[in-house]
Parts: sequence; C-alpha cells; structure tokens
Amino acid sequence: MKTVTIDPKKCVGCRNCEMSCAYAQTGEDCIRTHANIRVNNYSDDRFVLPMTCFHCEEAWCMNVCPANAISRNGETGAVMIDQTKCAGCKMCILACPFGNIHFDHVALVSRKCDLCGGDPQCVKHCIAEALNFEEIDDLAERKRIGIDERVKMLAKKQ
Amino acid sequence: MTTIIIGNSAAGLAAVKSFRKYNQTDELILISKEGGLAYSRVLLPYVLREKLPYEGLFIREKAFYEENKVTYIEKEVKMVDDVNKAVVLTDETKISFDKLILATGSFAVAPPIEGIKQEGIYHMWTKADVDALLPLFATKKKMAVLGSGFVALQGAWAAKTRGLDVTVIELMDRIMPSVLDVKGATILTEKIKETGVVLKTGTVTERFEKLEDGTFKIVLKDQEPVYADFIVVGTGVRCNIGMLEGSGIACDRAVLVNENMETNVAGIYAAGDVAAGPTTFGDVHKVHVLWPTAVEMGEIAGANAAGKKLEYRGSLNMNVTQMYDATVASMGLFNENDIDGSREMPVGEGYLKVCYKDEKVVGVCLVGDSESVSLFGKLRPIIRKGEVIDCEPEKLEQYVNRKAFQTAKR
Repeated sequence: MKTVTIDPKKCVGCRNCEMSCAYAQTGEDCIRTHANIRVNNYSDDRFVLPMTCFHCEEAWCMNVCPANAISRNGETGAVMIDQTKCAGCKMCILACPFGNIHFDHVALVSRKCDLCGGDPQCVKHCIAEALNFEEIDDLAERKRIGIDERVKMLAKKQ
Repeated sequence: MTTIIIGNSAAGLAAVKSFRKYNQTDELILISKEGGLAYSRVLLPYVLREKLPYEGLFIREKAFYEENKVTYIEKEVKMVDDVNKAVVLTDETKISFDKLILATGSFAVAPPIEGIKQEGIYHMWTKADVDALLPLFATKKKMAVLGSGFVALQGAWAAKTRGLDVTVIELMDRIMPSVLDVKGATILTEKIKETGVVLKTGTVTERFEKLEDGTFKIVLKDQEPVYADFIVVGTGVRCNIGMLEGSGIACDRAVLVNENMETNVAGIYAAGDVAAGPTTFGDVHKVHVLWPTAVEMGEIAGANAAGKKLEYRGSLNMNVTQMYDATVASMGLFNENDIDGSREMPVGEGYLKVCYKDEKVVGVCLVGDSESVSLFGKLRPIIRKGEVIDCEPEKLEQYVNRKAFQTAKR
C-alpha cells in the first residue's frame, strides 16, 4: 500500500502540511489544531519532526477500539475512524504508540489521518519534499527508506 | 479438531480473529450465555449519557461469525469436563472439544447490606442492566450510586448529564483507588462536586428501605438518610468461574494462566476478565478486568489454540474516559507505595503525573485534557520494555516523541 513517509532531514518546519490537512478536514479553516498531522518543533536542537499516522499493519488502535469504530479501508489501506460509531472514549489515543490520533473537540470523537482518500494534501503542499506518498510493501522496505540517523543521534545525545 | 470459545466479548472476539489468522480450517464454536450480537461494555455509560445511540453498543455484525466460520451457540455452559474434554450446557447438551478458551468475563457483585437485593436496585455491568436503566434515566429524578469506581462514577456522570439528581455513596475516604493517585482523586472529587453530584465518601450504608411509593430511603451511619428513586450498585466484580467447579482447572478467584494464556490443563486457555495472567511488572497472576487487557489476552489465547505459539509480554493496566468535563486516565503504577518518585508535567489546568521507579517510567495518571493522552500511548511501549529513560525529566516529552518516531521507522 501507499502511505505518507516522513523525512525529518528535509523538513523545514513551514507547517504547510498542518494547514493543508486542517483545510482538507474542515473545508473551512487552516487552524493547526484541526490537523491530523503535527509538526513537533525542538528549537533547542534545531530540529523539526512532522508526525502523521503510519497506518500500521498491526494497528493496535483498530484492535483495541471498544466501539469497533476503526477499520482499514479496502482501497487505500488507510486505517479509518468511523466517527458515527466512535463514542469518544479515547482508548485509541491511549493505544497509539506514536501519538497520531487526536481528539476532535467539536464532534467529541477521535480523528486521525485518512490519507485524504488516496490523495494526501499534506504531501501535495509540502514545500521541501519531506513528506512523500509512496509504496511501502513491508517493514523492511520502510526501514530502508526511513531510518533517520539524525533522530537516532539526537535521542542518544539527550 | 474443534475449538470452543466461551464468551462473546473483548477476549472471545479477539480470540476468534486471532485463531482464524493462524488456522482457517478447524471447527470453531463460540458459546455465549447472553446471546445476541456482541456488544461493548465500555460503551454502556456512553449510551446512558446519550453520547452514543443504543445501536452503537453492538460491535459485530452477524456477518462476522459467518466470515470467520464460527458456529454461534446462544446457550449457557453449566460445566466444563476437563478430563473428557467436553462442555455441558444448561440444557444438558454435551459438546466435545480439542481446545477450549474460557473468555467468560465477570459479573457485578453487591456488598452484604440489608435490602440491597430488591427491585429498583441495579448494577451497570451488562446490556440487560442498561436496558433496565434507560427508561429510569428518562423518567426518574433521583438516583443514588453505591461505590465510586470507574463504572460507578461514569454512571453518576451519565445520570447528571441527563438532568437527574445524583448522590454517590462511597465507603472509603477517597474515590477510584485503582484508577487515580490521591492527588488526582482529590482533583476529580472537586470536579464532581462542581457539577452538582453529591459525593459522600467515608460513608457507611446501613440499609436500603423501600418506601410505600416505591422509592428508597438509604439509611447511613451517623448521617441523614439519602432518598432516591432508584439505585445503581457499582462496587466491583468477580470472575465468572462457576462452570469450572469440580474441574481440575486451577483457579484462585480467577483462572490462572501462563504466558501462553494456557491453564494448568493442556489445551485449555483463558483470557480477559476471567483470567489471571502475567503483567508488565512481573506479577505472575493478576486479573485486570480491562478491555485492552482482554483484547491482548484473547489474541494470545486464540493464536495458541490455533497452534501458533505466542507469548504474552504481560498486561499493562490502562484506563481512560471522559467524565465531569475532564479526561481521566491512568496507566501502570501511580500510587505512592508502588513508586520511587514522580513528576508533574505542565499541562495547563490539568494534572498529569509521570511516575518513576528504578529510573524507569512505570506509570502515568491524568485528570486533564485529551491531548495529554497521547503521551500515554508513546510511553506505553517504553514502560512495557522497562527501558531506562536517559533524559532529564523536563525533556521527557521530546524524548518520547523521538523514540516514537525511531520505533516507527524501525
């Protein structure tokens, strides 16, 4: 399946991805907190890290959801939340090891990246090619594409 | 080969899915005492609160059983014959098995208080309980809740949201000892009181008297009585192990299982509320009565019954809900006696405490906002692996964010 991959080395922290996501989700605003992609900013280390759902093969959020509201889209492979089934219990937010599920304070349910139905807007509006929409066959492939030495180094430095 | 799963909730359903992942051919029978489509206990308070429509309770369609080639039997198991490998139903039907998964769950219990067993006094543990409570929530004015655990307080919040007058009576001097530390409980107590729910901790209930008009007078020790139209008892649960009486399956209030979710009898497994298994913190046999633990245990039991040897890495308790306008969550160890130290994280008006033991993060508890819950998710694998956090506490959030990213890329 194709998914959004992240290369923090290229990210310049412009936050276009957040704004385009917010607009794609709401259809009316570019408010960052409405986005499903989040750019974490560590100015001390001159480091920015955009994070969005990896649509895990073994999606723990999907397995644990007590409302069975999370499923995988057959076409895009995206792990999706059915907001009409979601009770807003937040167990998925607690389950996601990457912090990629957020709470919708208007609908009072969880929300996350849905790959924009196969045309992710964050990727389209990324000015630095830090975000890409590409084929990921398995974890080994992801490893080859994604290992980021700088992240490792910084984590060690702390 | 025939595998029987007893139980149609978190553990049983996870076991079905996991079993079929590794074994598409063997016969799979699921027996449920409650019958009907599977529903989610977690959602019961949300339905009472009208956050979710009643139909939202049901978490599997009929097609689920067909797709997974499950023979679904809506009957009660009376007895498990572990020697002859068969279950006996209450209608005396006998069904043989090669593998058995006990996912029988738990039932609500009431303390021995005079008058507690009578019409008008309910639990909030099953769909049947909620079926009985829904019309009362719509028509009655005053509800009393006995107990102040996770379920009891969610029930009280649901009733308050629906406009009822609610009194919560708790024997202990604090609320929710298994979900929050003392400070978190104190903060939540204030929030509960702000909403107008009357919360009486350290209160001994002497008896429930039914008055002529069908309402209740609850007689308390050294306090004025409380009056209520109906009462919800949320004072804990016990494992459903009645059907194992006389069998050779080792139990100690729960079914004892190893890291494969297997009991002392080969080929018989247990998972979910009924099972006492290993935990992240080294306990050998511990019961959780938590949805995520039940799902994880069910996956392990299903796989092993299907012939795929999988080991459980141990359960890690986690709770989360929204109530009294706060997100209340906890994970791992957070009570003072279980930890070496703790640190409060800055999260606006909320309370978020990260707990340490032997330089490892061992737990978190929160009364605050939903964004803080994502820290729980990121810390969960770190707590599970027992990793030493080699960063200054104030940099914890950055540390876990990076750790999460590294893990994802690995």
